[in-house]
Amino acid sequence: MSAATLIAREEWRLLARNRAGLLATALLVLLVLVASFTSLERRSAIEADRERYQASTDHDFDAQPDRHPHRMVHYGQFVFRPVAPLAFFDAGVDSFTGNTIFLEGHRQNSANFAEARQSSLLLRFGQLTPAFVLQTLAPLLLIFLGFASVAREKERSTLRLMLAQGISGKSLLFGKFLGQGVLALLIGLPAFTVLVVFAATGSTGWGTVALMIAAYSAWLLLWAFLSVLVSALAQKPRDALAVLIGLWMVIVILLPRALPQAASAQTELATKIESEIALHRDLLEIGDSHDPEDPYFNDFRDKVLAQYGVDTVEDLPVDYTGLVSIEGEKLTTAIHADSAQRQAALETEQNAFVHRFSVLSPLIAIRQLSMALAGSDPTAHLDFLDQAEAFRYDFVQQLNRMQADLLPEVEGDDPRISAENWKEIPRFSYQSSDRLDRSDRLVWPFAVLLGWLAVIAVAAPFAARRIGRMGQ
Amino acid sequence: MMTEPHIQPAVEIAQLHHRYGADPVLRGLDLILQPGEIYALMGGNGAGKSTTLAALLGFISPESGTVQVCGIDPVADPRAARAQMAYVPENVSLYEHLTARENISYFLALSDSRRGSDAIEAALTDVGLASSAWDKRLSGFSKGMRQKVAIALALARDVPVLLLDEPTSGLDPRAVLEFNRLLDSARKRRVAVLMVTHDLVSAVDIADRIGFLIAGRIEEEREAQASGSRFDLNALHDRYTHAERAA
Amino acid sequence: MNALRAEARLLLRSGRNLLALVLLLVLSCAAVWVGIAKIENQRATIERVEREQARDLASVEDANAGPEGDAGYNAYYAFMLTQDPPPALAFAAIGQRDLQPFVLRVRALGLQGQLYDSETYNPELALPGVFDWAFVLIYLLPLVVIALGHDLVTGERETGRLRLLLSLAGEGLWLRRIALRYGAVMAAVGLPLVVGGIIMAAPAAGVAVMLAGAALYCAFWFGLAMLVGGTMRSSTTAAAGMIGCWIVLTLVLPALANAAIARQVPVAKGIDLTLAQRENVHRGWDIPKEETFERFFADHPEWQGKQEFEGRFHWKWYYAMHQAGDASVAGDVAEYRASLARREELTRVLGFVLPGVGTMNLVHRMADTDIAGQLAYQDSIADYHTDLRTFYYPYLFEDKYFTRADFAAIPRYSPRAGTGSVALGPLLALALAALLVVAAGALRMRRISGHSR
Repeated sequence: MSAATLIAREEWRLLARNRAGLLATALLVLLVLVASFTSLERRSAIEADRERYQASTDHDFDAQPDRHPHRMVHYGQFVFRPVAPLAFFDAGVDSFTGNTIFLEGHRQNSANFAEARQSSLLLRFGQLTPAFVLQTLAPLLLIFLGFASVAREKERSTLRLMLAQGISGKSLLFGKFLGQGVLALLIGLPAFTVLVVFAATGSTGWGTVALMIAAYSAWLLLWAFLSVLVSALAQKPRDALAVLIGLWMVIVILLPRALPQAASAQTELATKIESEIALHRDLLEIGDSHDPEDPYFNDFRDKVLAQYGVDTVEDLPVDYTGLVSIEGEKLTTAIHADSAQRQAALETEQNAFVHRFSVLSPLIAIRQLSMALAGSDPTAHLDFLDQAEAFRYDFVQQLNRMQADLLPEVEGDDPRISAENWKEIPRFSYQSSDRLDRSDRLVWPFAVLLGWLAVIAVAAPFAARRIGRMGQ
Repeated sequence: MMTEPHIQPAVEIAQLHHRYGADPVLRGLDLILQPGEIYALMGGNGAGKSTTLAALLGFISPESGTVQVCGIDPVADPRAARAQMAYVPENVSLYEHLTARENISYFLALSDSRRGSDAIEAALTDVGLASSAWDKRLSGFSKGMRQKVAIALALARDVPVLLLDEPTSGLDPRAVLEFNRLLDSARKRRVAVLMVTHDLVSAVDIADRIGFLIAGRIEEEREAQASGSRFDLNALHDRYTHAERAA
Repeated sequence: MNALRAEARLLLRSGRNLLALVLLLVLSCAAVWVGIAKIENQRATIERVEREQARDLASVEDANAGPEGDAGYNAYYAFMLTQDPPPALAFAAIGQRDLQPFVLRVRALGLQGQLYDSETYNPELALPGVFDWAFVLIYLLPLVVIALGHDLVTGERETGRLRLLLSLAGEGLWLRRIALRYGAVMAAVGLPLVVGGIIMAAPAAGVAVMLAGAALYCAFWFGLAMLVGGTMRSSTTAAAGMIGCWIVLTLVLPALANAAIARQVPVAKGIDLTLAQRENVHRGWDIPKEETFERFFADHPEWQGKQEFEGRFHWKWYYAMHQAGDASVAGDVAEYRASLARREELTRVLGFVLPGVGTMNLVHRMADTDIAGQLAYQDSIADYHTDLRTFYYPYLFEDKYFTRADFAAIPRYSPRAGTGSVALGPLLALALAALLVVAAGALRMRRISGHSR
């Protein structure tokens, strides 16, 4: 057996005999499991709720009586965002984004009822998910297990004893890395098991789970190795502890909170009111369908008349108002898409600013990876908004088309078309995109985590030389 | 040194008993120390040496018996009693991030002493610390230099009783010699010195009386001879090793 | 040199302690600065929106108000602005103001379809929580207290100074040292708050309450430092023990409690009531108009008898239908609000046990930036909405033209008075917790003697 494995085994034996260390480890494992199960249960409760709501509003839509199609345009549809299967593992921004949108004609409503707006400030302390435990608490446990690993030997002069017996600084350090690294992976094991079981039940893809495990392994190893490295460079265990706690505070608590403030100060988002007013103004610039003298809509009318080969609107075989609605919807949607894109670009810019600093605070990298893989990141939310908007456009235009085509056949001053038509209108079904499709998003955060590991690897020989010199 | 019954003893311990749990440590300790007297208390590990110091400093409430320092009971009024004593612990490291001068001035402030910087400099000179080191941080000091600062602190307080816990441990022979010279000058200023020590050789050189503490009581006491060699070192050594074995 | 000055020098000459204190001061200043910037930004946003809104309203006026203006059209197109300017103390505790709308437009249509609209915010930036003074106080201050206080006793014992110290000084030693550290920490965290309060012209009493909360919270952590530091044998275990307390008290238990509260008190009623409101409003088109009016007259009997009109459509029926829609979900609204209030209440109760949560409740209630503040804003919007629609009813039911003079008479929203208050319960609970821990810690410190076995 090599010296390094012997030293690693000593680390494990020490932990096995250290009651406080075992207790803390057991508590963390327990916390991961509790978080997994409560979060899983919570996810399925939310998901069941949303499915129920979606089914009931879909049913309500079908159950509407004979009506003028434009009334159905404003009756609209409610869509609910399904919770991604892995969101139980990392809730990401799910609690901060609205999960239901009311879709109607020529209005783009906001996604409402975000959990964070309906919770007390307690939510801001963090949400109990396995990701929270692994991202925030596990590094602290690894610090406590590793801060004394080398510094302890220095303080008790056992280091000199080892060096005198011919163990090199390098193999000592390697042994400590090995010992603490294996512990780090063991600490991750319960969470990884949950993920594997989840994948085995077919709830999510193996590729996603494998990447998730790889990401968290890198994150945990990072902290284990960092602890050993600092311990090797510090004079006393206490100094190592102070430095490591300080690093943890900056990396895990401080920077992730402070950077978003800087980002939001740099790039300002317009309020919803401003966007609405701008939208309205842009729209009026193109044309006002209510204004009989409006050049844009006069052109449009002439084009329609020419197309049908008639002289007046009254002679048209279709409902002209329906055609105007179709045209109007096209315009508003394009303008809205433009403004939504601008807004999304601003948000992306803000996030990119924060992401750049993941070099300093790898927590941002692991958070980004974890959310993206879990399907609870802002991209997934934007994807939902995009799909909802596309769906909105389609069903509204379909209703407008019904108005144009079917209304002329209906007599009377209260024209209604048959309720049977509502059943032809599609229902929303969210197509969750494959997380691995847009894997370019995953490259940078992975690179950051591996970069940190690489830096530690580069610093290790230097630390090993320093340890080696202590014996002389 | 003659005992003078008409003046108040500096330290007076009578029939002192103390136990930790069921473990008796002091079993009827009697000890009287007069001003200007140096007393070396010798004893093995667990003989009760540090409990004796703790009793004098008022850190413990003894089971029975009396303790008085300059007529003050340290159990009843530890503050007043401590104001009469300067204590130099074994292997003390003062504040590493303060200089020698700052350390002394800090600890003097703690004891409400009104002694000024002159007294500090005088004490530092007395202990033989080079003046170039006075304004250096303790973190760069050797063990002997630290010991000197601790003793300078005790001297600067200018109190009638000096308690020393293993004062010569870790000092080289030259430093021990200097230290003994210091004690001698304290004696001349009628300071009563109680030193707890393992170091028989140094005790023989300077002590007026040597007491052997065995199992919580002073089993034997020797007084220095006025003429010739002060103590019979060989006899003492035999006694000491016997005491060690008994403990 | 007096003893306190000597202690101060000892404290500040230690690089580690000085670093911790300076760091706290810097972070606290930064947090106050960020908070002020955020508040100024929200104020500027409100002004910007007000200008935009004025222009937008002017065009609505041009289009709809006039000698033959129709109040129905005007009420449909005139979105009215409500705004919730940041309270003066919000700079210290931004609370939910990064998520909750502080400008919202409403019109005389059904309120329940408008009230819950979200403001645009970047969820990823909101996720980690705001960086404000309250954060520095609740999360970071304990860590500084731990850095300064964990080795009060063990540090002296490990270097062999303990007996010497005790032989020189009486009980006053620990009191002086702890009081000095306490004072330094409070200064580092309190001064920036006071300066920020002066800059923002915040009410002195509010700043004082926040300081009182900080003082008690800080005392709690020093008490814990005495308790743990006086019990543990080594500085390292004392530090580890205290960090453990910090993790459990500020990270684990609040997260667990939040999960429990979310489970205990579901808030799905919000969705229910929006769905029901939509259903009721749209059903209005398919049921006899008398039914709608009947429902409307229950709340507005003054218009009884004026419901008749010719043709298929009249705005008075349209607005009556929207009002009836709101009225039909009043029960759901009450339940929804009760569930939000219940969550807030449970958090308050939790604050009686967890000092960090208690402090959070206290400062945010004082700053009026918690859920209660948001509910108060919603209430004021609802009141305003009532004013707004009742303003239009005479024009609709009496078929009056809507002139420019009438447009000028449309009631405007005036911002609510702040509801920030002293949360006495949490304050007392915090005081009790601090007192208990400090007393226990003091007892522990009293038992420290120079002699130990």
